[in-house]
This record gives sequence, C-alpha cells and structure tokens, in this order.
Amino acid sequence: MYTLQVNGISHTVDVPGDKPLLWVLRENLKLTGSKYGCGQALCGACTVHLDGHPVRACVTPISAVGEQAVRTIEDIAYDAVGAKVQETWQNLNVPQCGYCQSGQIMAATALLTDNPTPTDRDIDEAMSGNICRCGTYPRIRRAIHKLANGGV
Amino acid sequence: MSAESSLSRRHFLRLSIIAGGGLLVACGGSSSKPSNNLSPSEPEDNGPIVEQQFGDFLKIGSDNSLTVFVGATEIGQGILTGIAMAVAEELDADWSKVKAVHSPVAIEFNNPYFGSAMQSTVASASMRGYYKPQRQIGARIRQLMINTAAARWQVDAARLQTEAGYVIDPVTNRSISYGELSADAQESDIPATAELKSPEQYKIIGTSQQRLDAASKVDGSLIYGIDVDIPDMLTAVIARPPRFSGQPLIVDSNAALAVPGVLEVHQLAIGVAVVAEDFWSAEKGRKALEVTWNELLASRTDSELQRSQYELQLNLPGVPIRVDGAVVPAQLLAAETVQADYYFPFQAHAAMEPLNVVIDYDGSRAEIWTGTQSPTLDKLFASLILGLPPTQINFHIMPCGGGFGRRGNWLGDFVRDACQVAAAVRKPVKVMWSREDDMKGGFYRPAAAVRMSASLNTQGEISAWTHRSVTQDMTAFLYGEKLFDEVVELNGGTLPALDKVTDFDSNFVYDVSNVLMDFHLVANLQMPALWMRSVNKYTDIFAQETFLDVIASRSGEDPYQFRRNRLSEAPRHLAVLNAAATAANWGQARSGATMGIALMGHWNSFIAQVVEMSISADKEITIHKITSAIDCGTAVNPDLVIAQVESAIVFALSSIFYGEITLDDGVVQQSNYDDYRVLRMFESPEMETILINSTEDPGGVGEIGVPCVGPALANAIYAATGATIRELPLRNLGYSMAEQHPEAGGQS
Repeated sequence: MYTLQVNGISHTVDVPGDKPLLWVLRENLKLTGSKYGCGQALCGACTVHLDGHPVRACVTPISAVGEQAVRTIEDIAYDAVGAKVQETWQNLNVPQCGYCQSGQIMAATALLTDNPTPTDRDIDEAMSGNICRCGTYPRIRRAIHKLANGGV
Repeated sequence: MSAESSLSRRHFLRLSIIAGGGLLVACGGSSSKPSNNLSPSEPEDNGPIVEQQFGDFLKIGSDNSLTVFVGATEIGQGILTGIAMAVAEELDADWSKVKAVHSPVAIEFNNPYFGSAMQSTVASASMRGYYKPQRQIGARIRQLMINTAAARWQVDAARLQTEAGYVIDPVTNRSISYGELSADAQESDIPATAELKSPEQYKIIGTSQQRLDAASKVDGSLIYGIDVDIPDMLTAVIARPPRFSGQPLIVDSNAALAVPGVLEVHQLAIGVAVVAEDFWSAEKGRKALEVTWNELLASRTDSELQRSQYELQLNLPGVPIRVDGAVVPAQLLAAETVQADYYFPFQAHAAMEPLNVVIDYDGSRAEIWTGTQSPTLDKLFASLILGLPPTQINFHIMPCGGGFGRRGNWLGDFVRDACQVAAAVRKPVKVMWSREDDMKGGFYRPAAAVRMSASLNTQGEISAWTHRSVTQDMTAFLYGEKLFDEVVELNGGTLPALDKVTDFDSNFVYDVSNVLMDFHLVANLQMPALWMRSVNKYTDIFAQETFLDVIASRSGEDPYQFRRNRLSEAPRHLAVLNAAATAANWGQARSGATMGIALMGHWNSFIAQVVEMSISADKEITIHKITSAIDCGTAVNPDLVIAQVESAIVFALSSIFYGEITLDDGVVQQSNYDDYRVLRMFESPEMETILINSTEDPGGVGEIGVPCVGPALANAIYAATGATIRELPLRNLGYSMAEQHPEAGGQS
C-alpha cells in the first residue's frame, strides 16, 4: 500500500513497490494524460513534476515517490506558468499528433518556472530529453521564446 | 457515390443508424477548469442541446454548433480540422462552433481517392480525396437551410443569404440560425446538388486556423487508443519470436503465472500472450516466460547479405515503370555515360504511441478501439479472424500518437495480432506493444538500392537518363499474402496487375528525351516491410537529385541554374524552385557555408528545398537554415501546411543522420530510442517555409516535405567538400550533427 499526493489529492494504491509511477497514474488513478513512449526515460512523454521538478514517471518506482507532491498535465492549468504554456502552445499550433505534448508542456513549464528568460542553449538543455517524432521542435522553441518575451 | 445522391429523410434515418447518430441530445454544461481553453466555446448551461444529423457527415445543434464526421484518421496532420474547414466553408457555418470527430467505419466514409473502396489515411490522399465531396455536402446542407428559412418566412429562397451559421433575408433584415432551423429542416429532402463557391468567396478555406484538437492536446484530455479504458479490461503483451515468422514450440508458463497480477498465458501462432490485470504485471510475466521457438521457417534476412544481393540485382533489368524515347540508342551514341549506385537501409517509423488495440469480444460480437490509418481493412481482418460478420463489429477509429504509415498497414498486422489474443481471452483486453515490441516488430521502410546513369552527348547535354531501384515492395508483398486475396475477393474484386498499382515514378521532369525507370519489386514474405512517410521518394529522389548535381558539376553549371534551364515542361516545379532559391538568397551563403538545392513534385504538390550548412574538418554539420517553397494548390489551412513541412524536415533529418534498422541473421538489432536515434531539440535547425498561393485543387502535404531534405543537404556537402554521398544514414559515413542553436541567448 502506498499513499501519494497527486494534483493536491491524497490517493492510496495497492500495487507492488516496483510499479512505475507512470503506470500507477495511468492504470490505478486513471490519469492518462501522462504517456508511455519508451519505458526507459529516453523520450520524456511521461514527464511529471515531483515537488516541481520534472521527472520521468516511467522509471520512477512508486516506492520512491514518498511524500513528494506529484503534479501531472491534468493539473498544470492551475499553475500560472503552466496555463500560459498551454495557451501559447494552442495559439502557435504546436501540437500535431499531440502524444508527446503532455511531457513537452511539463518540461517547458518547469524550465520557465526556473528560468523565465531561457536562451536557446537553455531550451536545448531543458527540452532535448523530450522526443517529438512529429518534429514540432521549431514551434516549441518559438513558443518558449514568446513566453519569455511576454514575461511569464 | 452516396454523397452525391439525394438523401431522402428515410435514407437519412437508415444511415444515421450506421453512423450511430440520428437525433442526439447532449446536455450543456460548463467546465469548472480554469479557462485556458481556446477551442470552440462550451455551450452555456441553458437546457439540453438537441443535435440533428443531416446525411452521414454532419450534425447541427440547436446551439448552432456543427459537428463534422471525418472519414480520414487524425495522425497529427490536422485532417480533422482541414476537412471540417472545407465543410464549414460551403455551409457558411460559424467556425467558432465547429467540432470534428472520426466517423464510424462504413462505406459512406471511404476515401474517393481510393475509388471509395476504403478508409485509408495513406498516400497524402485525404484532402485530395475528400475535399470536393465534403464541400458539396456543406453546400447542399446550406441550400437546405435556405430552403427551410424560405418556407418559414414564405419568401423566395433565391433572395436569401447565409453567413456564419445564419440565414439572412436582406429585404426584411431578418435572420435565423441554422440551429433554430435544424428541426424543421429534417422534414425536407437534402437538395441533390448545390453550387460550390468560387475561391474568391472563401472565408474559411485559405485562412490559418487553430487546430480543433489543440486544446485537448495540451491538457492531457484527448483519449488515444492507448488511453481507452473499459470495465473489467485486462492487459496483454505478446512474447514474439526473435526472428520474423518463428513460432512458439514449447512454452513453460509456470513462472509467468506465478507473477502476481498475471492471469492467463495463451500460446498462439504469432507468439505467446501474457494476460494480466495491468501492463506492469504483464511485462513481468512475459520476462518470466520460458519459450522454445520453432525457427525452421523463420526469417534469416541479414542486412549485409541483403545489401550485396540488392547490389547484384542492380545489374539486371527490372519491371519498367516509365519509358520515354529510346534510351539504348542514345546510350550507344553518347560521348560518355556516368553511373552511380546508392544504398538505403531498413527504417522504423517509431511513432511516439506504441501500437495498441483494445478489443471487447465475447464470441458473438466485438467492439474494437485502435489508432489506425487503415480501419476498413482492419475491420475486415477482424471479422475473418473473430468469425463475425462486420455488422457485429463496432470499430472505433482513435486519434493516433503518430502514424507515418505504420498504422496504415493494409495487412492489418496489429489488429490481426490483437484479434488472436482476444479470440483466446474472450474478455475485454488491451493488447499492448512495448516500445521494444514496436521497434522490433517489422513493417519497416524497406531497404533499397538505386542505380542512376546519365549519358552525355558531345555537347555535354544529357541524352539519356536511367533510374533503377531494387526494393521490397509493399504491393508485391500484398500479392504474396493469401489473406489479402481473400479480402479482395470478399469485396467482389480481383487484384489488378502489379505494375499498374505501384506509384514508384519519381516524376523526373527535367528536359531529357530518353528516360528509362525500372524497378525490381522484391517480395520477401518473411521480412515484413511497409510504406513509411514519402515511401520510395525518400530513396529515389535522394538518388535523382544528388546525381543531378554531379552531372551539373561536370559542365561547371550552378545546380540551381542547371535545374532551372531544364524545366520547360514543368511550370509549377519551376515556380517553387525559383521561390526557394530567392528566399534562401541562393549564391550568397554566409561565410564558410554552402548551399544545396533539390526539387520534386508528387501527390499533386511541388516543393523545392535549400539547405545552407557548414561542415567542420571532422564532418560535424551545422545547418544554418532550411528554406522550403511549396505549392500544394489550395492550402486549406496555410499554418498547418507549414507545420507539415516543418514536421517533414525534422522527420527527414532523423532518417538522414540516424535512420537505420539492421538485421543480423534475422534478428533486429535496435530496440528503443537509444539505439534508434531520432532528432532532438538541440539538433532541430532554423527553417523558413514559403507557400505559393494557388487556386488549384489541394495537393497532399503530409509527405512532400521529406524527400528533398536529404539531397539538398548532400548537395551542400558536395559543394563544400566534393564528397558524393551514396548511402544513408550519414552517421555511418562519419558525419554528425552539431548543436544547431549554439549562440547563448538570442531569439530564434
């Protein structure tokens, strides 16, 4: 039995300790916005925030989550930066298939919260762990620069 | 074509049962979420909204909303938005109240491009196929609304106008919404024909609109196939043989069944299914499984061996695809003939959402949910395997987390596999592919060898041009697959001759009188291959356009001018070539940089791309800019056309630098994004895309941005170093990608 805080709500789940957070979110808590892409922290589609830091939920065993606050894409609109990121993503038609975008948005929100005026190199460092097979990188970069200039 | 005929009310009612529509009642209600939702506004909470369905393709709500049913699959290209725009344009709907959803799998929704034989989102054919018929649907419903208003107001229909979801009588200044008219409109027949707008009347088509699915793709709410959750659903994974076409011989499932959460193990022809309460348990169960495989008939395809076989085959004549003039006499008379051979390996599509299918099958009926580009054939295969008439299968097309052709398999591989599992389980089950299953699962872009030759006469002009390819052809594969025969026969058809259904012409348009293109269409039933975004154009345009630069350089001609001077019969090619060269400032590369250019036309679209790059002594490449000029006829949503070109450039660069699946004695060597690299943010270069305005019918845009990137880059490398690139990926030749945005700071 593990008790975890997800999007401000306490949940108790009966799962083995090695079950990754991603699958607890998706299967036990029915929060399917975080995606499975690789299972090895290679693609970033599963990115969630643990105490505000972006982590790959697919390689985070539930036993390692402990008291840390889990935040997922379903809740990021309640974050001032997250809401702006979502809005800009829509306005610039960033998503294509959209499958990786939950992870991209969680990574971008963490970046902009940490560093409201990222350089291109900052963007490369923060976002290169998130694969987009549709190739929306130019628009993601443009969206982040736009948010930086708009003063998040 | 049902879309063209007059739909009586009775006809409409029958069809709406198929469409799952009819009179639909939805309750209004506003979301309690914080408002960042820029999609069409939610209805106010002022009572139930009544939706009326008109024909197969649309519903109008009493709140004046419009819902469009789209037969093509949304794989990221924006087709739900694009087709809804075409319908809304002719209907004069209020765009802010338009929704688009996937249609059911039914003949009414088949793509006219494929002879209305099936729903299949391949070959950049969705807008090409559906554009006109869907506009006609919109126009006819608009006329129905006008007729209904005219009857209500007792005025002449001819004087009425429409705008943004309203019928307007300019004489009395009255107006009424389609929503208010929709119940009365059900009493009348839909007019059989209606006049389409001329392009200068367009208000929606040709404008850049936000994708209709943008909001649900930024808040995690969109349900992909992998997100489908039905009551009592189990999860299955399939242990597959190490080599294609192997089969399980001896299965020891004791350890697997001992894993908590694992419920069942089934030995199937394709492998061993481990069924569990959840994905994690299923994966652990699969790891604990002990299987001895029968590999007597398994594939032993080996990358190195295959390459040498293909290169030998280049010496033999193939099936002629195009014969212009007389190549052989021209070659005999030539002063010189130049030849070059190329080779390209297998590639995986590697879409972000691994394959998955949810099936609820109880022996007498089935419900299937999956992200697929080929639902009609998938459903047919499901009915054959499950032993059910298609009417007993409710098939849901789900939005796809990427497709690139992998989800458009006319052999229905993943649905067939899942049906085998479901037939054994007979309970609701989600059949999951792990990333490794997906990567190792075959149906790759086939390897290809290409031989180019150009004969030059005594004036140095090209007197003969030949192009020969050896590749494993999807079409040839289909012909070898007995099951496909059955499907075709089931539909009352026969297979046309093989060379009639291939689309392998590279559309070589330069002024050369004698041209021969021939192909060896290899069928290797043990090595599953499939189309991948831009299909053979990726390899054939690479060979054609790089070889052209080699020929140009022999006479010292500039590659842009060389092409430009040989396009007398191809005005749309010429226009994009000039536009790309102008936008890229051709001939004025920045210090230390070179440019390369490439050109093609296909899918009724045309593109020229210029790559400007620098290369270091140790072959590290910095791409300064990729400039594209595209003519896709009418660009229904220009911003999404540009997005497709950007997408294609990134997709192409992944292939060009890294894309390679290798087989060692039949065993795939790659498994995940670490050993099958795709482009990442730091490698994504600057790009600019110019759209040539045109009122021609829309061409395809999903694929055309891919093929020219490789040759344009290779031509820039050739210009810089003199190195000719005759195989891909570039990584195998020692080339690497630099960080593409190295300057700290600065606006991109």
